[in-house]
Amino acid sequence: MVGLSTGEKLFIQAGIAQDLRTDGRGRLTYRPISIETDVISQANGSARVRMGGTEVIATVKAELGRPNPMQPDKGKVSISVDCSPTAEPAFEGRGGEELSTELSIALERCLLGGKSGSGAGIDLSSLIVVEGKLCWDLYIEGLVVSSEGNLLDALGAAIKAALSNTGIPKVHVAAEALDNEQPEVDVSDEEFLQFDTSGVPAIVTLTKVGKHYIVDATLEEESQMSSAVSISIDRHGHICGLTKRGGVGVDPSIILDMISVGKHVSEELLNKLDSEIVAAEADEEE
Amino acid sequence: MAKKATPTTTTYSPSPTVHKTRPSLFRTDDVNWVRPDGRGFHQCRPAFFRTGAVNAASGSAYAEFGNTKVIVSVFGPRESKKAMMYSDIGRLNCSVSYTTFSTPVRGQGSENKDFSSMLHKSLEGAIILESFPKTTVDVFALVLESGGSDLPVVISCASLALADAGIMLYDLVASVSVSCFGKNLLIDTVLEEENYQDGSLMITCMPSRYEVTQLTITGEWTTSKINEGMQLCLDASCKLVEIMRSCLKESAVTISEE
Repeated sequence: MVGLSTGEKLFIQAGIAQDLRTDGRGRLTYRPISIETDVISQANGSARVRMGGTEVIATVKAELGRPNPMQPDKGKVSISVDCSPTAEPAFEGRGGEELSTELSIALERCLLGGKSGSGAGIDLSSLIVVEGKLCWDLYIEGLVVSSEGNLLDALGAAIKAALSNTGIPKVHVAAEALDNEQPEVDVSDEEFLQFDTSGVPAIVTLTKVGKHYIVDATLEEESQMSSAVSISIDRHGHICGLTKRGGVGVDPSIILDMISVGKHVSEELLNKLDSEIVAAEADEEE
Repeated sequence: MAKKATPTTTTYSPSPTVHKTRPSLFRTDDVNWVRPDGRGFHQCRPAFFRTGAVNAASGSAYAEFGNTKVIVSVFGPRESKKAMMYSDIGRLNCSVSYTTFSTPVRGQGSENKDFSSMLHKSLEGAIILESFPKTTVDVFALVLESGGSDLPVVISCASLALADAGIMLYDLVASVSVSCFGKNLLIDTVLEEENYQDGSLMITCMPSRYEVTQLTITGEWTTSKINEGMQLCLDASCKLVEIMRSCLKESAVTISEE
């Protein structure tokens, strides 16, 4: 994928060891982030996030559906990611499939929380319209427009921004339906309910190159990684999900160390994201 | 196969130092909470392993943890497909499938589509891929019955099958998961418990190297809880790997006797 000479590889590794990366950043500095919301008018909510050369779009579509009989008081959310061949020729056909599944599973794990719903960024019970009969199904879709490394963090940020941009139409349930009938509903196209996105965690990926770890790795840096840990952390500093990439074994104490570093970085990232989202929403209103 | 009577399988649990303050309450209101199979919170299910379950394979293993029954076959190393590019290290190909009758509702097992890639990531770091360049090793796992904590069982069983096949490994890989219920941590959960868990943590590690090859966490966790959960899992893995090792020794003895 990335063709690097031995010299370039050593340059990247040595730079990381000296806390000065090839693009002049320190180990724990992000590339500039910019967020634009409401970019896709067909969707209920959308956002475009740029992180240096990486560009992703996330959209949220809401459809009325039936709740799962096992959990009649909860709506449903699904996350999928599409890696378009416009970003990288290697994604053509089934080439992007492996990466797409890996990313969507990592996002589901990081954002949707445990089986009982604790640690979830989205409150599923707020999606219910009529208990056991009608609920909102949220389809969160991510699109990789340009891939320059650190896709997971960018997608996480884009989903957070898209959710805060999402308006769910208000539903008026017409009349009491019989037990086994679907109730008649009137979906308002004027009144929208806004999501509470304060609980949506941010994802921080720490990529381990040599003995050190870096945030927001570029594609070149990712090719030199031995392993990477993605941690999703919410405002309260709780860990909502964690996945590890790369098969190389890591000492447990290093993982714990990475978690504490991730926690520290996530505070800054969350503040940055929140202010960017507010700015983007303000831009849009003008 | 199975010439010997089933050895008395013993349950194992991580060292008792960790649960000094073992919580007696479950979700604060249910005082007399007992786990569906009567185990303690920090007690694992009895583990049973047997190598050589499939004759046609280079190596295979069968594992049974309570109701979770798994069979893993390893084929190869054999020549990589022609379409594959040249590689001076070996390739690992993993696949996990469920039988249609493995779950309470027929065909539910296919929901776990990420298990194959998880198995791959867990084993990759333990195999000395340099030892079989240009070739591929296939690991096929089949969950005969899903009784909870399926993936950890599949991973442990797969590493045993690899060892049985004579694939060079840095160390056996053992995997254990804990689930979080309110304030309590429960190790090696069964299916009924999994449906109500607040979060789960799964570790796969190489105990003698003391390295974690894979770690996943879902749900809400504090750092101290992660710490506690990791310690529990690592400790349990060390004990699990001993059981796996004794199974390998046993099969080696049987072969030399023949």
